[in-house]
Amino acid sequence: MTMTQDTQPGTNTLVLSDPETARIAHLLRRSGFGATRSEIQRAVERGYEATVEELLHPELQPDLEIEDLIRRYHVDQNSLMLLESSQGYWLYRIINTRRPLEEKMALFWHGLFATAYGKLNHAKAVVNQTHTFRRNGLGKFADILLELSRDPAMIFWLDNKDNHRDAPNENYGRELLELFSMGIGNYTEDDVKAAARSFTGWTIENTEYMSIRASRDSFWPYGRIDWQFRYRDDDHDDTEKTFLGHTGDFDGQEIIDIIIQQPATAHYIAGKLYGFFVSDRPDEEAIGTLADEFTRTQGDIRAVMRSMFMSDFFSDRSARLARVKSPAELVGGTARLAGSHRSPEWTIVNLAMDVNFMGQEILNPPTVEGWHTGMEWIDTGNLVERINAAGAEMRDTSRPGVRSVIDRVKSAGDVLDPAQLARACLDAVGMLEVSEATLNSLVALATPWGEVRFDRSDTVSCAEQRVTEMLQLIVASREYQLA
Amino acid sequence: MTTGTSTTTTFSYSHTVGFLAYRGRGFIHPIALTLGDDGVMFVLNRGGPESIGRLEHKRVCVCTVDEGYIGEWGTGGTEDGQFWWPSDIARAADGRIFVTDEALQRVNIFDSDGDFIRHWGDPGDAPGQLNRPAAITVAPDGSLLISDGLNHRVQRFTTEGEYLDGWGEFGAQSGQFNTPWGLTCDSGGNVFVADWRNDRVQAFTPSGRFIGQWGVSGDGKGQLHRPASVAVDHEGFVYVADWGNERVQIFDPDGEVAGILAGDATVSTWAADYLAANPDESAAREVANLAPSVNPWRDHHREASARIESRFWGPTSVSVDNESRIYVVDSCRHRVQIYRKNS
Repeated sequence: MTMTQDTQPGTNTLVLSDPETARIAHLLRRSGFGATRSEIQRAVERGYEATVEELLHPELQPDLEIEDLIRRYHVDQNSLMLLESSQGYWLYRIINTRRPLEEKMALFWHGLFATAYGKLNHAKAVVNQTHTFRRNGLGKFADILLELSRDPAMIFWLDNKDNHRDAPNENYGRELLELFSMGIGNYTEDDVKAAARSFTGWTIENTEYMSIRASRDSFWPYGRIDWQFRYRDDDHDDTEKTFLGHTGDFDGQEIIDIIIQQPATAHYIAGKLYGFFVSDRPDEEAIGTLADEFTRTQGDIRAVMRSMFMSDFFSDRSARLARVKSPAELVGGTARLAGSHRSPEWTIVNLAMDVNFMGQEILNPPTVEGWHTGMEWIDTGNLVERINAAGAEMRDTSRPGVRSVIDRVKSAGDVLDPAQLARACLDAVGMLEVSEATLNSLVALATPWGEVRFDRSDTVSCAEQRVTEMLQLIVASREYQLA
Repeated sequence: MTTGTSTTTTFSYSHTVGFLAYRGRGFIHPIALTLGDDGVMFVLNRGGPESIGRLEHKRVCVCTVDEGYIGEWGTGGTEDGQFWWPSDIARAADGRIFVTDEALQRVNIFDSDGDFIRHWGDPGDAPGQLNRPAAITVAPDGSLLISDGLNHRVQRFTTEGEYLDGWGEFGAQSGQFNTPWGLTCDSGGNVFVADWRNDRVQAFTPSGRFIGQWGVSGDGKGQLHRPASVAVDHEGFVYVADWGNERVQIFDPDGEVAGILAGDATVSTWAADYLAANPDESAAREVANLAPSVNPWRDHHREASARIESRFWGPTSVSVDNESRIYVVDSCRHRVQIYRKNS
């Protein structure tokens, strides 16, 4: 193990590896859900830029390889009728995906286009929406908005099923501009009205029957029936509209085409991507760089993400550990590290509940604005949940990921003093940047244990136990709770 | 939808039994059934997810093929006689009922009234131990055959749980398995196994010698995708719940496809009672198009089944009786669809 130590100027953060390895570990935290030490090492061997390209092309990796097993053992995750089942299904994807950026993009778009089970009473409809994010999340923003506008869950969520030629409903048109593309202050009320009229007739099949079922949460007689987009030409307002200075008999697609051309759209989406992937603290210059790339590529999200990952502001050490992990990131990432739920286990529902208890009901965001992120993920109660859930994952030495960590720690030496143990464990979980205070705390807490010895049969078990105790301390640390 | 290639044998839809209900008269994610006397069905409900408030959904619903409700027994939990991941159910000639549990790695035994008798089974991979016991069937000699899912083998036990013999290992060669699920015996004791992740059905002599197989991977005629269950009738027709393709395929004794069932569900009596009590919902349903043309984006069979209510969605079990009735457990639609073989 190569272990260097470098103190960042102006801070007390220690870098416990070579700088490039730490940079790649940062990339894998932000673009996915963290990485094991061996995954980090493989990425180092590929190189930073090649790793970025691999992340940006998830289609080159196999899709979820245990999808059939999940549906086989969890019959409820085959139908996805219930919210908890659907949340468990998403966690399986987060834990087992070989396309981490695809899953991270799905979380990002789900937070931005927040659509909630609570109104729909149709979990699979929201899951289906997340599948569109997986398919298109790195594609052209125009395609994302077009699919979103045709997405049955969104049509139901923002009442576009009630948006008729003779009685427009402005809900979707308004949120499309305010929350999904441009941000408030960049359009007029007339633009909202024109957008709404352009999306008239964009509805779902069997609107009345599905509305009654949803309103009374009826899954009778035979479970949910998937919703399907339907365009009703006879209910579409094809008269002339003026939208953002353009005039024509627009339909929804043409409205989207105009939205994509707006500088406000480029800036808005760049800001959202920056906040999710870079830092909880906005940096207008960096956001401007991303907005320029959005404009240059006509809203190519893959190009914008490439620009972000290759930028100095992304890799800058001030951006490291500058974001609070969302509950889904924390729970899913820790399960990946521990190696749990690599095959179906009934306890997946408990993980889903953990995420809920930490304040993030995936597939059921609190409002159309999504979740309040950053430090708002942390309060006294949530922090205890976060620490307990992460600690529980790392406690079980039978889990293959925990086992790998223990084996890696053993390779650091047959006998480890408290400082060596703390450093070896930090390295083995890929936590290569920590504050001096955290490191000192870990060492202090391990000091009463004395040396841990892997070289004697009568002490190995105790030594392994000490490793898991150290891992539980590490996942409780400030740095582990950040990305 | 029913198709047939045989000039003398056809298969026709009869009716649907069931309705979504967490308790009482109805099913919630049924996974298998076994047949009693006089048209009685014991329908095993897996339920899920395994959160505290939903454990009571795991139960056996007892009803008749003509939609009579008799009662229910069993519940979720880890105590004696309780279920966690109940997977299959079989009935012995003496009326005792056996239920495999893939999470608790055991076989529960109940009497004909559903009163718990005992359980047996130990987790592990040694002979006689179990790792996700999936399906169970009673052989003509009275022994029990179990597909031992994650041990990728078939094992035979006495009804009291004494290990007798077994065969198979992980692999894709003849006689090997990849996560086997359903299994059954014909009247001669030959064993048919739904070799789930190998996309085929394999047949063996009673002693476990490989005889032959049906199916290769795919969704074409005669091809299989993750077959969940297999049944054989007295004429040698083989019925396969082609779970991944959301259909049942029927092979004649020569191995030719004799029929493909995709699901034709109608409103059961129990469902009709619900609709009668909710006239506004019923009226909206009457004018709805419940068989829309579909344009799903991936995994098209499953997504089509999710949108077209009459189709099978997750057919986990197929059974036949001696009156030429075919029973398909339609797990994601919480019902059983009944077909008839017409010779």
